[in-house]
Amino acid sequence: MKKDKIIVAVTICLICIILVFVMTVQLRTVNETNITLIENMREDELKEQANIWKSKYEETQSKIDEDNKRISEYQEKLENNQETSELLNTELTQMRTILGTTDVLGEGIIIYLQNGEENIISEDLLKLVNELKLAGAEAISINGQRIINLTEIVDVNSYIIINGQRVTNPFEIKAIGNQKYLTSGISSKGGYVDSIQSQNKNITITQEKNVEIPKYSGELKLKTIKIN
Amino acid sequence: MFIIVAIVIGCIIGAIIGISAPIIPYTFSGYLAVAIIAALDSVFGALLGIMKKNFDIKIFVSGFFGNAILAIALTFLGEKLNVDIYLAAIVVFVGRMFTNLSIIRRILIEKWAIKKNEKSK
Repeated sequence: MKKDKIIVAVTICLICIILVFVMTVQLRTVNETNITLIENMREDELKEQANIWKSKYEETQSKIDEDNKRISEYQEKLENNQETSELLNTELTQMRTILGTTDVLGEGIIIYLQNGEENIISEDLLKLVNELKLAGAEAISINGQRIINLTEIVDVNSYIIINGQRVTNPFEIKAIGNQKYLTSGISSKGGYVDSIQSQNKNITITQEKNVEIPKYSGELKLKTIKIN
Repeated sequence: MFIIVAIVIGCIIGAIIGISAPIIPYTFSGYLAVAIIAALDSVFGALLGIMKKNFDIKIFVSGFFGNAILAIALTFLGEKLNVDIYLAAIVVFVGRMFTNLSIIRRILIEKWAIKKNEKSK
């Protein structure tokens, strides 16, 4: 009878040990577990979280897409702007080149005019410039003075004034253009060269590959003119 | 007397072991909770048995482990079938615990009333 009692007591003791042990472990687990840690979450909680993040991700993704679209739009606009500005730039350079406000370089001829028995007058230079223009000259300068559309070539006392600057003998006229046309334009029979030589003035023509012509050095200002 | 000492010693040893033991993963704590409920149900069943004087250690031990294991197995099965079977287990066990407790209470009150009657006589 006593043996039975001891067995019962030991069994109950063992069961108590197991029960309390398991309960303690469980309590500690519940207490010490940080629910926000992913490893400790249950599947459905994880699913919920995953769903939330997924929706957030999708939202962000759509925002990114939108922003990207906008960026590409801006880029396109920018490129367009660049294209326009490049176009404008080339146009501007062209216009400036035509106008004569840029230093230019190209094949052409150089004409030396020198006083012979008679002095060279502005008429000679004007005529020469005219002839060169007729022969297709794209840029002309006399003693470093660029001839532009408003350039004057006049006699003042015993000097010749070009672009408001005094130029004196000897004259070096540079012209850029087709060498053949230019040369033949002024040296044809009964042409400019002949007439100059018949006036006992010296003229020599050299053809050069690289004729450098400086830009118009003055200021170009419009005061009265208006665009109609 | 023996038995009370055994219970106290068992509780102390169990607590000491439990405190020093590592914690288990949170996923398994659900199973353990159901098992604990099942075991507690057995304990209250045993208390009732003692009150009714028909306590049998074999039935207690087998019920203790059997209920716990069954509860864990059912919970596991429920997880696999995507049904919260552990809820059913908890309802049954906790319900039985309440029933047992109420019976114990009634028995105690009856005993107390009898004693009072005897004293007043």
